[in-house]
Amino acid sequence: MAGSLSVDLVGAPARSGARGRLIRWALLRAGGVLFVLWAVATVTFFALQLIPGDPAEAILGGPGSQASAEALAAARAEYGLDAPLPVQYLAYLGRLATGDLGTSYALRDDVASVILDVLGPTLLLAGLSLLVASLIALGLAMWSTRGGRVAAAVGSLLEIVAAAVPHFWLAISLILLFSTTLGWLPPVSVPGGLGLVLPVLTLAIPLAGFLGQVMREALLDALDSPFVLAARARGEGDGGVFWRHALRHAAIPAIGLVGWAFGSLVSGAVVVETIFARQGLGRSLLSAVQGRDVPLVIGIVLVVALAYMLVTTLTDLADRVVDPRLKARS
Amino acid sequence: MNRTLPSILAAASVILLASGCAAPAAENSAPVSGGTLVYASGDAEPTCLDPHVGGNYPQALVSSQYLESLVSKNSDGEIIPWLASEWEEADDGLSWTFTLQDGVTFTDGTPLTSEAVAANIAHLKDPETKSSTGYLALAKVASVEEVDELTARVVLSEPDSALLDSLSQPWLAIESPRALERSEEENCESPVGTGPFVVAAWERQTSITLERNDDYSSPPADAGHEGVAYLDAIEWRFLPDSASRYAALQAGTVDLIDNVQPDTIVAAETADGISEFNAPRPGASNRIELNSSKAPLDDVRVREAFVRSANVDDAVTSLFFGTAPRSYSALSSVEKDVYSDPDLFGYDQDAAADLLDEAGWTEKDSDGYRVKDGVTLELDFPVSTNQSIPAEQSLYEQLQSTAKEAGFKVNLSPLDLTSWYTVLGDNDYDLVSAPYTKAGPDVLRILFHSDGTVPAPSGYFANHSQVKDPELDALLDEAAASSDADERADLYQQAQRIVLDGYFILPLFDQQNHYLRSDDVKGLRALPSVSTPTLYDTWLDR
Amino acid sequence: MEVVSLLVIAFLAVAALAPFLLAPGDPLAIDPLDSFQPPSPAHVFGTDESGRDIFTRIVHGTGASLTIGLAATAIGLGLALVFGLLAGFGPRWLDFGTTRLLEVLFAFPGLLFALLFIVVYGPGVVTSTIAVGLSTAPGYARIIRSRVIQVRTSPFLEASVVLGRSARFRIARHVLPNVAGSLFVLATLGVGQSIVWASSLSYLGLGAVPPAAEWGAMLSAGRTYISSFWWMTFFPGLFIVLSAAATTLLGRAIQQRGRES
Repeated sequence: MAGSLSVDLVGAPARSGARGRLIRWALLRAGGVLFVLWAVATVTFFALQLIPGDPAEAILGGPGSQASAEALAAARAEYGLDAPLPVQYLAYLGRLATGDLGTSYALRDDVASVILDVLGPTLLLAGLSLLVASLIALGLAMWSTRGGRVAAAVGSLLEIVAAAVPHFWLAISLILLFSTTLGWLPPVSVPGGLGLVLPVLTLAIPLAGFLGQVMREALLDALDSPFVLAARARGEGDGGVFWRHALRHAAIPAIGLVGWAFGSLVSGAVVVETIFARQGLGRSLLSAVQGRDVPLVIGIVLVVALAYMLVTTLTDLADRVVDPRLKARS
Repeated sequence: MNRTLPSILAAASVILLASGCAAPAAENSAPVSGGTLVYASGDAEPTCLDPHVGGNYPQALVSSQYLESLVSKNSDGEIIPWLASEWEEADDGLSWTFTLQDGVTFTDGTPLTSEAVAANIAHLKDPETKSSTGYLALAKVASVEEVDELTARVVLSEPDSALLDSLSQPWLAIESPRALERSEEENCESPVGTGPFVVAAWERQTSITLERNDDYSSPPADAGHEGVAYLDAIEWRFLPDSASRYAALQAGTVDLIDNVQPDTIVAAETADGISEFNAPRPGASNRIELNSSKAPLDDVRVREAFVRSANVDDAVTSLFFGTAPRSYSALSSVEKDVYSDPDLFGYDQDAAADLLDEAGWTEKDSDGYRVKDGVTLELDFPVSTNQSIPAEQSLYEQLQSTAKEAGFKVNLSPLDLTSWYTVLGDNDYDLVSAPYTKAGPDVLRILFHSDGTVPAPSGYFANHSQVKDPELDALLDEAAASSDADERADLYQQAQRIVLDGYFILPLFDQQNHYLRSDDVKGLRALPSVSTPTLYDTWLDR
Repeated sequence: MEVVSLLVIAFLAVAALAPFLLAPGDPLAIDPLDSFQPPSPAHVFGTDESGRDIFTRIVHGTGASLTIGLAATAIGLGLALVFGLLAGFGPRWLDFGTTRLLEVLFAFPGLLFALLFIVVYGPGVVTSTIAVGLSTAPGYARIIRSRVIQVRTSPFLEASVVLGRSARFRIARHVLPNVAGSLFVLATLGVGQSIVWASSLSYLGLGAVPPAAEWGAMLSAGRTYISSFWWMTFFPGLFIVLSAAATTLLGRAIQQRGRES
């Protein structure tokens, strides 16, 4: 699989020196990131204007707040909401350019510090879930290809079931099993690592189901492919074939999925953070949208976009390492 | 003297005796000091810990631990002394003089004086504070005179019989005037009061930490003991999902939970180590309001037909497992002077059919819905998913089904809170269920006086049935001005009759406010003013 | 395996198109005093909180649930195919532009799309479907694009170019069939995923409108009762899994045939 910039490299005229290419790549990359961030901020800003509800009310504690006309007017003036929309937008962009993400309407706090408080826990949750999901998917894939038809069928079925389970149902079921019935794990977040087990499992299991199915298809493809046949003809054993060739081939689409998985994890985190009462970005995003807290929504979306860009860049680099065709070309 | 503590102790000793000997550790029957209680709330985390700002129930729940009001209420509904030891109404009803307790200090060292009372009332009435509940309650207050250090006179623009009720509520609690001078952000972060606990820390989305106030000296007149609180600290957490909240209680991760679902209440009855605590909220009953300002519900016959077509009894019985008593009145059962009339609300499809025929809705379309002059008999019912529990939402579904039999097409729309308020503000609804908690029968004025149809600048108004009846208005105004308790009682009864007879509401059940506690949590009681639990007398038997 | 999936799909198809054949009762008929009944001869899957027969509701809900699953996947894949082909096969500037666009769309958490869409246009089957479709499209597009590029840089495609075949020919004869493999996997996975997604939206209060019988909504409504009345969530969940499994297996079987031929 090719990352987003590999196309450029494939078609790029031959240049002297890898350094030149690297610099050009880095510049293009940075430009791309800035473009995406700008586009994301713009789309979110205008999309939020579509939602019914007066932002001035959101500032004053919500629509049921029975705020007085003077208070509403004061709020509008303070936040610049009485200016025409294009002016508001430009003012907002201007602040963003200086790194000022604004103040959250509902939380009365700096958007940047609100996000920093909740970013760590979500990243930890997402990262661990991705790791566990990959391990489970890999394990299932290995077991299926080595264990014969029965193992393959069972593994396949497990993956399908896992991918079809909604997060909230899985969360509650896991709590019922491991906390209420068995008493092994805490049902909600507690200080210390144990509180992470159930939330991570809840996110990892459906993801493992999905990853597993994609990897399985690629793995089967790979095991059938010419270069694997060639390897076997050369006398390489099953193990070598698996690790050195098939897995590398199957990893390509899986790595490509990491970016997608990251996005799916952020969405899933909303439900998981709510049920397990964990601090997190997902939960903050949900309440920010429902509370029409425009600065906070944009702030969170920008942070997620930035993180996603980071993940994609890393996977592109990983691709370069794993995919022999790209290596050969560059 | 509060009744709960002795009865809990009695129950505990009975259980001890009945369970035989083999008692492991020493079982205490006298309160012990120490320990941290973990409270898990299912409500949304407040954005500001100062209940002067905004003023909703989640704020009241937590502020009841660190803020106190001028007066309180006992379980008989009588106003009792708290921060104010005496009070007197002037003969013309245009002022009230409050004498404060001597020697009380806020936790920042400021003494409690009449200056504090003046500062707090000013804070509540200031639009910059953005108070809604407190602001409305003090609508008739003109000014506060500091007669002397411990005497404050509240001057009114007109007599207000609901003033004491209002002042007993957590949303009008007295905070330190020095603290109120700080920025709103600071004051929201850690308000300063006279209560048995102090706000020590607040980590958003995680918990609020409250620590014991070791200089505490001002319990309300009906408290269980005097002196400082027993608990060292309280950890106040927010667990929005009801299933994981109950699981946390079972696991011992938390000690006390609120917003308990009906089936959980039933399950907890058979569970070991968990007990239930019920404290119905004052104010209005849980009801459906019928929008009488527009067709088709502007016709009282159609309103009655809808009410008759609704099989509420079966729905409440099946969905609430007997934990919620049916209500036939506009007021919560804990209010005094409740007027109730079950006969008005009997399930009777035949009567509904007759009424609709009478009102001209004689044709039916292919789906069975009634039609008149080409218009279908349609009712829009927006439902706030934040403010109603799943059992309530299922109840509306059942009513939708029985109403269909009579020919009504009820459209249920689940909405988030802001969208719901917007729909209400635009008068885009026919049926709605909006909870309202307030101490005292004055809530009738807020909900049914024609002034309640005038929207605030934000578009919000409280009189969702849009009742505009001059006779009703006169009764409510008179009751609000009267100083005679018996006269008020009579007037409020008449007012309730008008509301019920006009079929402006369909009462469903009493406002539910159930808590589940771990059995080693002793001494729990609710402040009767708005039924928030107070942890002052609470101790942990561990 | 294939026979079983075909049978399941046949059942689902009948349930979607002619539910009264399989469940003659009324899915909306309440019976409050008969609520929360466990599975029994009278009610094969038990009754829900309003006394409605769960089997009848599941059968009648097939149409709505599968619509969400199929339509959302169709929207997602349709958009993805267009973007993916444009990006992978078009001139470099088009690829650059489209990829950037995809990255922008992709950078949004899918939930945000759904939330914004539903908050603006209101809840319901149609908005849920569109919301889910839009939020899954960028992810699928990315996968398709990478597959297209993989195919495009492969030997036989280069041979095709050398042989002077037109772009349309190349797309039709080489690219599409090879991309179809991934498409199938995604489509079949997508059906199950979309239904599950819509169910999560119901949990957040943004899903199907009551009293509609829809598996995801039933699953969400039953979750409060999960420890006391297991059948309220078990059966809708079972059908979600069955649909996802059947479509996946069928897709894979078709793919297998394709590969063999």
